[in-house]
Amino acid sequence: MPSTPAKGAAATAALSKSNKPTPSPQPAQPPSLSPPPSDEKPQPPLRPVQTKPTQLARTARHALPALQAALFLARFRALVADPVAEMSMTLPVTAALQVTYALACLPVAGSSGGKGGDEAAAAGAGAGKKTATATATATAMPARLGSGKRKAAAAADGGMRKGATTAVLSLLLSALVTPFLYITMILFGAPFLTHGSHTLLCAAHMAVLALFPLFFVRGVDGRAWAALGGFAAPLDDTFGGLVGAVVGAWLGAVPIPLDWDRDWQRWPVTILAGLYAGYLLGRVVGGTVAWGKKF
Amino acid sequence: MTSRRGCNGFLSSVLLLVANLLIPAAILVFATGFFPYKPLLPGLATFDAVTEYGEPPEAKFDKIVFMVIDALRSDFVYAKGSGFQFTQSLIRNGAALPFTAHATSPTVTMPRLKAITTGSIPSFLDVVLNLDEGDESSSLASQDTWLAQMKAKNTGKLVMYGDDTWLKLFPDTFDRADGTSSFFVSDFTEVDNNVTRHIAGELKRDDWNTMVLHYLGLDHIGHKGGPRSPRMVVKQREMDGIIRQIYTAMESEDHLQSTLLVFCGDHGMNDAGNHGASSAGETSPALVFLSPKLRALSSGLPSPLPEREDFQYYSTVEQSDLAPTLAALLGFPVPKNNLGALIPEFLPFWPDPRDQVQLLMRNARQILDIVVAAFGREILESESDRDTLTESRAAYQDLAHGWKNVTGLLGQVSNGEAAPVLIPAVAKWLRNAQDVLSSMASNYDMSRLLLGQAIAVVAFLTAVKTLAMLADDKRLAFVPLSGVIAAYGIMMFASSYVEEEQHFWYWATTAWFAYTGIRGLKRGHQSPRAQVVSTALLLLVMRIVRSWNQTGQKFAGEPDIVKMYLHTNPALLWCLIAAAYIWVHMNLVFGLNSLPIWLSFAAATALVLAAFTFKVAFTLEDAPELVTGFARGMLEMNFSKHAPLITRAHTVFIGLGILAAVVLAFILLRRSVSWSQSGVATLFTLYTLLALTQSRPTNIPLFLLYSIQYRLLASPPTEHSRRRPMDDLSPVELSTLILLLQHAAFFAQGGSNSVASVDLSSAYNGVASFNVAVVGVLTFVGNWAGSIWWSWAGWLMMMERCSSPRAPRPYEATDAAPARETLGRMPREEEKEEEEEEARKRQASAWKRHVAVLTVFAAGGVAAVMAACTVLRTHLFIWTVFSPKYLYCAAWSLGQHLVVNVGVGGLVYWLRAREHAENGWITGCAGKGF
Ligand SMILES: [Zn+2]
Ligand SMILES: [Zn+2]
Repeated sequence: MPSTPAKGAAATAALSKSNKPTPSPQPAQPPSLSPPPSDEKPQPPLRPVQTKPTQLARTARHALPALQAALFLARFRALVADPVAEMSMTLPVTAALQVTYALACLPVAGSSGGKGGDEAAAAGAGAGKKTATATATATAMPARLGSGKRKAAAAADGGMRKGATTAVLSLLLSALVTPFLYITMILFGAPFLTHGSHTLLCAAHMAVLALFPLFFVRGVDGRAWAALGGFAAPLDDTFGGLVGAVVGAWLGAVPIPLDWDRDWQRWPVTILAGLYAGYLLGRVVGGTVAWGKKF
Repeated sequence: MTSRRGCNGFLSSVLLLVANLLIPAAILVFATGFFPYKPLLPGLATFDAVTEYGEPPEAKFDKIVFMVIDALRSDFVYAKGSGFQFTQSLIRNGAALPFTAHATSPTVTMPRLKAITTGSIPSFLDVVLNLDEGDESSSLASQDTWLAQMKAKNTGKLVMYGDDTWLKLFPDTFDRADGTSSFFVSDFTEVDNNVTRHIAGELKRDDWNTMVLHYLGLDHIGHKGGPRSPRMVVKQREMDGIIRQIYTAMESEDHLQSTLLVFCGDHGMNDAGNHGASSAGETSPALVFLSPKLRALSSGLPSPLPEREDFQYYSTVEQSDLAPTLAALLGFPVPKNNLGALIPEFLPFWPDPRDQVQLLMRNARQILDIVVAAFGREILESESDRDTLTESRAAYQDLAHGWKNVTGLLGQVSNGEAAPVLIPAVAKWLRNAQDVLSSMASNYDMSRLLLGQAIAVVAFLTAVKTLAMLADDKRLAFVPLSGVIAAYGIMMFASSYVEEEQHFWYWATTAWFAYTGIRGLKRGHQSPRAQVVSTALLLLVMRIVRSWNQTGQKFAGEPDIVKMYLHTNPALLWCLIAAAYIWVHMNLVFGLNSLPIWLSFAAATALVLAAFTFKVAFTLEDAPELVTGFARGMLEMNFSKHAPLITRAHTVFIGLGILAAVVLAFILLRRSVSWSQSGVATLFTLYTLLALTQSRPTNIPLFLLYSIQYRLLASPPTEHSRRRPMDDLSPVELSTLILLLQHAAFFAQGGSNSVASVDLSSAYNGVASFNVAVVGVLTFVGNWAGSIWWSWAGWLMMMERCSSPRAPRPYEATDAAPARETLGRMPREEEKEEEEEEARKRQASAWKRHVAVLTVFAAGGVAAVMAACTVLRTHLFIWTVFSPKYLYCAAWSLGQHLVVNVGVGGLVYWLRAREHAENGWITGCAGKGF
């Protein structure tokens, strides 16, 4: 049997050096010390995340989901043939695409979109700085080429540095959250004694897809995560992606019992397909027509 | 809002009543069209009726020993590694003629025996009648069977030893009989020894012409240990020994010179050892004819054969073919309602082709009579326009055509020379007729199907209208209910979703808990910590519940908690069972605490102890491998250690009855039976004990899990959580949750939409002589124990919510504080009365709303299942998947919905209202129990 979620979650909370709830939309959340909202002085409502106004961001915002969908479809046959191998192979690719997306389009936590994530990001920055630099320069290249003016380039360079650090930290947080997503999937009916690596990899994909952008834009801001966990946040690219991913993965279980005896009905192919489809759809819809709306 | 409600109060009650009356009407009308009563040709067939083919050919045998080995799958006899060594040697030398006899679904004993003896294909309704074995209408006493024909021959007595289903099917037919009943499938030896001990004596006597033997042991081993159980081969050797004994007597005894020995399975079994559905294993029993005379037919067949996945060994015949074949071999006319065709392998017995033609023609003629009886003689004469014919009539028309060709051939040449052409032609016609008639064993009455459908739709719309009048929930609250009904309706059209229905309920219930948990976080009535912990626990318990029993079709044999942890670890199982009984004991003492403490304690202890020792004693009979040291010791310690099971069951039932009567009396006399909770809650505890009594031992811990969920949903407010999760649900949402939990619990107990999964193990608790009503109720409670439990839980949750005076409608509330403040304040006297009146009204409307929600689902479900059965009536799976689903749907809507949710629920509400008036259970402190 899985360990009690609360206990495990508390451990992560300690790891992420925060008393705030673990950023997970699922119920596996740690105890929070924050008192009920009514006792606090009124705070401005959580604002939806605005993507960067650059040309590059606009292009990437539309091109990347298409690219991701195309990649998923292209590799679908391989996924059906050997889910574990394929999922472990595509995980870095998905992560890279997500990092590109975050750096190109999303505001870093604490800049203008999110609030209160600054200190946490800064506190953790020292640890991951060395490894971060290498990745940062690599991923920052296209962005640098894209901007023409020198001044803007310099500003972008500073932003990129911070962005890269945040991206690395967010990836780290996504990895930390993966076991809790795994437990949540088990609670939702994933096989418990078998298919362990299948489910874990599926959870990792979910973390990288749905949670990484949220870590990137919201940091570990407790209030933001409470709103996200209660599905009370306004819709935008990131939150839309989360909602889409959760609903998509849940709906992905629907075709499994059908007696078609197809290979793609095997665990967790449909869940992963639902996850990707839901995430991409949610991200696009959340970033466009439903932007700013609330549940 | 309120005034409109007042005006509509009466109207909504009427509409609700109408909807609930229409549901059984729809089910009944549809059933009469879907499972039509087949007109049976009355009387016994005689040779004199048909004279145009000349004198009937001579009989080859005058005595028959008919031996049924229950669940004897074909590979048990024919494959390598079988224990039937002697039989296999006879197959090799030609004295035994082996077949695989296809048994149609439902593969349950009684319909199969009907098929074997009458040659007809029993309607699906026989499954239901199989459960009420005492039903008169299932008796074959008045029908034409080969048993009746053997009796009519008057050449000897009929004797029967074995399964008493035969005695129920053929009352007053056997001259000597000893029936064995199969209450406990753990009985592998006694049940068979009771048959075998008669054989030697009977073989010495020459006053009988028919001996029927029916062995149950092999079936029992299958149910307990599956087809690969180590006991299986041992049992096969035992059966083979009996065949050797009879065969040797046939060779040596003079009066057995022309005796035919037939042994067969009535059905097979699947890989789990169960039967009822239509997998290859279940529908492929063995059928072997044995006699030294059979060497004339063949010089032997290879045996044993390598194992086959499809279980088709040697030639495959229909089970119904047995009747005309026996008729030919033993020299009596083919039973009137037979749909079988003479097995062609036996034709060479009659060297004269005219005899062969005649046997086939008589068989064909008899089947033609059935066609004529069903469609009138004009079908043979008129050449009506094909386009106007329905599909089934067209098929019959084809038969008529074929018949004309055959009679034409017969007319051309009345001597034996036409035989080489005619024999295959008749044989082909027979097969064709068999296919047509059996695939249309049910002639759907379309007008009734549509009428039933229409009534169900009207019931559904009426229920929807009622709910719309009664409920003032926000729109969003109807979304999950509508989603469940819509998804369920669509699902009914896909056979795999019907077979694996449990996934839907687990999937939906899990999502529900997550949804309400997330919503709770958003609303923030509770600390996020409490919210997260309670949601996670609800999900965790749900996850354990859903893996308790693996059910459905596809993965029925896969590991689950019961197989992996409880069967392998009986000590753990008994700890959990004991915990469940102790928990009931605590609740019972608590629920009777207005009685003197010694009395409540003594009564609760005596009853719970009786129930627990019954469970141990029952398990010792039913599944002895589960009863180990501690539980056995428990039974030994008890002063009642030699009490028979039936007395133990009676003690439990009578004890439950007495306590229930006491609680009822207290409520009716307007007194409190417990200072701490309502009398209805005490009744709930008593029901829980009944549910434990009627549940398989391995399912008893489930009730502990349910009660954890119930506590999480409804435990009273504490300083940590000011609100219970159920307070966050609107009335419609709470009813939806109850609906989900009722269904999930049914499947978690191992239920499914397959006939094979009906649990009959507790159906005979305390039953000495068969009684349809009692056995029916016990079976229902046994299979729906968890669902009924959640009905009770739902009533209590709902009533308790309505009890708090002036509590803001929680689902409308925006802040958490006021409810508590109101509770703390002492209301003035007149205010209190008003409040009570108000609370009573709230109770009544809450109950109506709850029933309305459940009625919407029940009527919607019935309509959807009917639509699926109508649309898919020609589907391959109509008899194997959709018809069983229809029966389950009827049981859900008549039993669980009408009787439990509406009937018992109404009674509980009425009692509660009475209690309410006197004790003022309005302080909202109730329900510390559970
Ligand atoms: Zn049987
Ligand atoms: Zn059986």
